Amino acid sequence: MSNALGETFHAPGGALRRSAVERAANWLGDRGTLVTGLTLAAIILLFSLIGPYLYTASPYAIHGHHALEAPSTAFPLGTDQIGRDELARLIAGGYATLVVSIPAAILTFLLGITYGLAAALSPSWFDKVLMRVLDAILALPGLVVLIFFSALFTPGNLELILLLGLTSWPGLARIVRNEAIAQRNRDFILATRQFGGGTWYIARAHILRVMAPILVVNATFLVGDSVLALSGLSFLGLGVQPPYTSWGGLLQTGLNLIALDPWWMILPAGLMIFLSIMAANLIGQGLLARFGAAR
Amino acid sequence: MLRMIANRLATAVLSLAILITIVFFMTHATPGGPAFSILGQKATPQAVQQLNARLGLAAPLWQQYLLWWWHLLQGRLGYSYLLNRPVTQLVGDYMMNTLALYVGAILLSLVLSIGIGLVQGVTYGRWPARLIWALQLSLYALPTFFVGTMFILYFGVKWGVLPTGGITNLRLEHPGLLDYGRHLALPVLTIGLLGVSGLSLYFGTSVHEELGKDYVRTALAKGLTFRAVLFKHVLRNALRPLVTILGLAFPGIFAGSVLVETVFNYPGLGYLLWRSALSQDYPVISAIVLLIGALTVIGNLLADLVNGLLDPRERYE
Repeated sequence: MSNALGETFHAPGGALRRSAVERAANWLGDRGTLVTGLTLAAIILLFSLIGPYLYTASPYAIHGHHALEAPSTAFPLGTDQIGRDELARLIAGGYATLVVSIPAAILTFLLGITYGLAAALSPSWFDKVLMRVLDAILALPGLVVLIFFSALFTPGNLELILLLGLTSWPGLARIVRNEAIAQRNRDFILATRQFGGGTWYIARAHILRVMAPILVVNATFLVGDSVLALSGLSFLGLGVQPPYTSWGGLLQTGLNLIALDPWWMILPAGLMIFLSIMAANLIGQGLLARFGAAR
Repeated sequence: MLRMIANRLATAVLSLAILITIVFFMTHATPGGPAFSILGQKATPQAVQQLNARLGLAAPLWQQYLLWWWHLLQGRLGYSYLLNRPVTQLVGDYMMNTLALYVGAILLSLVLSIGIGLVQGVTYGRWPARLIWALQLSLYALPTFFVGTMFILYFGVKWGVLPTGGITNLRLEHPGLLDYGRHLALPVLTIGLLGVSGLSLYFGTSVHEELGKDYVRTALAKGLTFRAVLFKHVLRNALRPLVTILGLAFPGIFAGSVLVETVFNYPGLGYLLWRSALSQDYPVISAIVLLIGALTVIGNLLADLVNGLLDPRERYE
């Protein structure tokens, strides 16, 4: 969507990110990038998945006398407008965000690879058709398509996963297709074909294997994109629905009450989204540098 | 050159046709339908049927599809279900606001990106470039809606120097240009910053690559100063890819602005899209989606053509 969502709403298209970022990946220490990213990711995962067991306050309990309080020892991150514990909500929001965005990223990944490979290995007229359709889809910002479809019904987790997955794959599909085309005519693949290797065999045993590093790196970026897309959607009120909460939803509540200056309802949720995307991108950059060096 | 123009034009027209078809199926072949959002969830089946007949939604899909093309070619986009105004008029009003936002944001991104990219390209491999890279990576990971909300919190609420949203001060009878400008400042800054990470990184890499080319060595060997080479030769060559990138970046910028316009209650296309999606106002939704898609296709076409003008080699590809 660009990244649509693949490309996400953030920055210019996937193609740009590939070329420019790839060449610039060595501008920071490669190993440092990877280690920082992995550490960040581990902290976020622990916070969201193990957090509920370590910090047992309920994210739904209403403390009527403590509405909209700034952080204190009783409520480390304060309370919201009806007196719910913000730290507990941040943890629950993290769980809700990851439980949707990681499976969605996996779905995007599979769809993107399938479409890209299908285009690369088809007869050239069919490849052209598939690419024209892809161009047209890429002309639509992924978020716009997402908004459209999520307005049609009230999405649950499964619907959100499908929605994000089904709208985010075009960016990856193009990368996979271009890379597979570049690999398709290499000598060893022509030789395999000569020996009678079928298209499906070649795709599975050779092309996918040669492309593995690129695919791994892109899978990492997809997780970041997916978190961003889901958070944006929830921020618009179209993603994770109440009473469940997500980082995007927490930010939205904060914005609605902004005249009251509730910084504790805005800053933590925003930082969590930022750090998750940062972690995914750092890991991706680190892997990119490492694979680049190995080549 | 003529052949290239014809070629690119044909591609663009084809892309548009596919796009129009996709948008048709998005808006017409989905469950639910607009009747319920107009009449309410408790509408009787008869009332729904009547309304569908009146809106032309009862005909077979292929007839609706042909009719859709016919109306599009005449420039008729229908009426908003909810606001009961012609869609073209409605979208036109909101589009002017969005354009103001875009022009400001793109100019801001360009100026910042060129400055940052120059420093990054010249200091490649040393700490300033690395620092800038870390900055670009962080900026890339910052969601626009978070940045926008923080801007409102600080500039609007805590310091009270800029308005928190809207496009003019509703209490003023004749809001002047200054009032518009004050309302534009924060959204422009938010969208502008979002473009900087990608653009400046791209530009920085181009500057670095250009600096390593033979013509730079030749120019320096002739005795030209580094500054002259940088600004007269390198800058010009490194700027060229930015044209393509701006074309490519368009959908990303628009998608970002949906969120930003919502954050700032700024009455632009993104905000209108969000409102219309919430109420399933199909004619408005499809018009906006089509407009954005068409602008992207045209943007890419223009980028190709400008590149053809700037670089003769492109004309024969």
